Amino acid sequence: MAKKDLAAKHVPGIRAEDRWRLVRNIYDFFERDSQTAAVARILLSMLCVLVVWKIASLFVTNRLLLVPPEDVARALIGEVRRGAMWTNATATVTAVGSSFVVSVIVGVGIGLALASSRLLSLTGGPVLSALNSIPIIALAPLFIAWLGLGFASKFVLVLMVAVFPVVVTTEAGLRAADKQLIEAARSFNATATQIFTTVTFPFALPFIVSGIRVAWARALVGIVVAEFFGSFAGFGFAILSASQTFDTARVLGYVIVLGVMGLLGSVLLEALEHRLAPWRQE
Amino acid sequence: MSAPFRLRIENLDKTFTRPGKPPIDALRGIAMSIREGEFVSIVGASGSGKSTLLRIIDGLLPASAGAVYVDDQPVTGPGRDRAMAFQQDSLLPWKTVIENVAYGLRLGGTPRAKAHAVAQRFVDLTGLAGFENSYPHQLSGGMRQRVNIARALAVDPKILLLDEPFAALDAQTREIMQTELLRIWQESRKTVLLITHQIDEAVFLSEYVVVLSARPGTVRATIPVPISRPRSLDVKRQPEFLAIVDRIWKMIEAEVRASLTFSP
Repeated sequence: MAKKDLAAKHVPGIRAEDRWRLVRNIYDFFERDSQTAAVARILLSMLCVLVVWKIASLFVTNRLLLVPPEDVARALIGEVRRGAMWTNATATVTAVGSSFVVSVIVGVGIGLALASSRLLSLTGGPVLSALNSIPIIALAPLFIAWLGLGFASKFVLVLMVAVFPVVVTTEAGLRAADKQLIEAARSFNATATQIFTTVTFPFALPFIVSGIRVAWARALVGIVVAEFFGSFAGFGFAILSASQTFDTARVLGYVIVLGVMGLLGSVLLEALEHRLAPWRQE
Repeated sequence: MSAPFRLRIENLDKTFTRPGKPPIDALRGIAMSIREGEFVSIVGASGSGKSTLLRIIDGLLPASAGAVYVDDQPVTGPGRDRAMAFQQDSLLPWKTVIENVAYGLRLGGTPRAKAHAVAQRFVDLTGLAGFENSYPHQLSGGMRQRVNIARALAVDPKILLLDEPFAALDAQTREIMQTELLRIWQESRKTVLLITHQIDEAVFLSEYVVVLSARPGTVRATIPVPISRPRSLDVKRQPEFLAIVDRIWKMIEAEVRASLTFSP
């Protein structure tokens, strides 16, 4: 009793236990499994990054190496006002968007083919894993030599890096289908097509979506590299030209835009994955 | 005249051939028959091929010799006249209870609305009312097995095959589910063939119990259970019941012991 009274005296108005409960409640809220909490967590982590960044910029005063967040924000606003943001966004988003969609379609197609034929999987598998393990990014100059500067070379480079995770997860997901579920479907006299549409494919879907998530992250790396090597517009081009004029604020600004694109894609696809396979979390 | 045989098995052999290894004789000379409306169980030590036998009856596996007849029609593959409720979770995790129960009907081409109406009857019969829109992962093990049984019953098979349906349940839930199964059987008047390794379960539920020997599985004995119905769980404490359980246990004891020390 005496101890509690003593604690209460330190902070007039709020009793110690209430204060503790408030902290506990906030903590619980952030750990909760709801959408609001998920958004709050993202905002919290961004806030942490901003704070650390701001503090770092107080110590690193060379503005070629690091600029404070507000300078970056100002640079981004300037880019939007000048219209450069729009030009670059159009170039990057059309190339990465179209190539990403095609990678998903082609990736699922190849994955389906590999899962349906053992021979194809055994002969094509090594070729694919060899292609997957070489740094395709390093071939960027070659693609530009073949396809020229601009959309085509970007499209192909992104396709080459983004397609593999989809292929791998599609094949793995289709092969992972529960044998018990297949046997039950067969027991109910299901045709091969029905087994595919009611068991194998729904089972593989969350796997495929997780592959698509990886593909999106890779596609963003691919597009930036492609734009570094040869293009006249796009975020990668803007980053390269800004760094050549030592405009660190603009470099970081565009990197943040790319980061936001990556985060958005990842969050949306993760939500889709959870939606498709709610039984996996419990 | 006695009732016609719903299921007839004649001289059935099953041999698994393995490339580069000696073949395994799983079943040899199995012969048995079940009349319409009967509840029959097959017990045997693990490795006696009881699960293999059930899969051959369901048409999931071909027999090496001999034949299975349902209403004098030979079984050549899975068919609508038989339905199986499986041992483990074989429910589609992305479908709700009602959709899972309707699954067999939907595969058979029944329109969605009609399939769901039929499924609802079996959801009610198996005590799942109120859980129609739950997903399997939200249900207990006992509830999931109710869904499994409802799904098999919904296609209105001539014979219901149960592959150790309660093996994964705890002892108390299993006892409750056994009485539930008896109630469901009495209300649906189906012919039921159950595979189990629980001797008391087999005796409690069945009209007679078929005892399989260890590999190769042969029919060792057919033990009738002359205990009147309806049976409640109290039956399990009657001397008559215990004597039958004991008799079957003695038949397979040596084989069960062998299977404990030697696993194939």
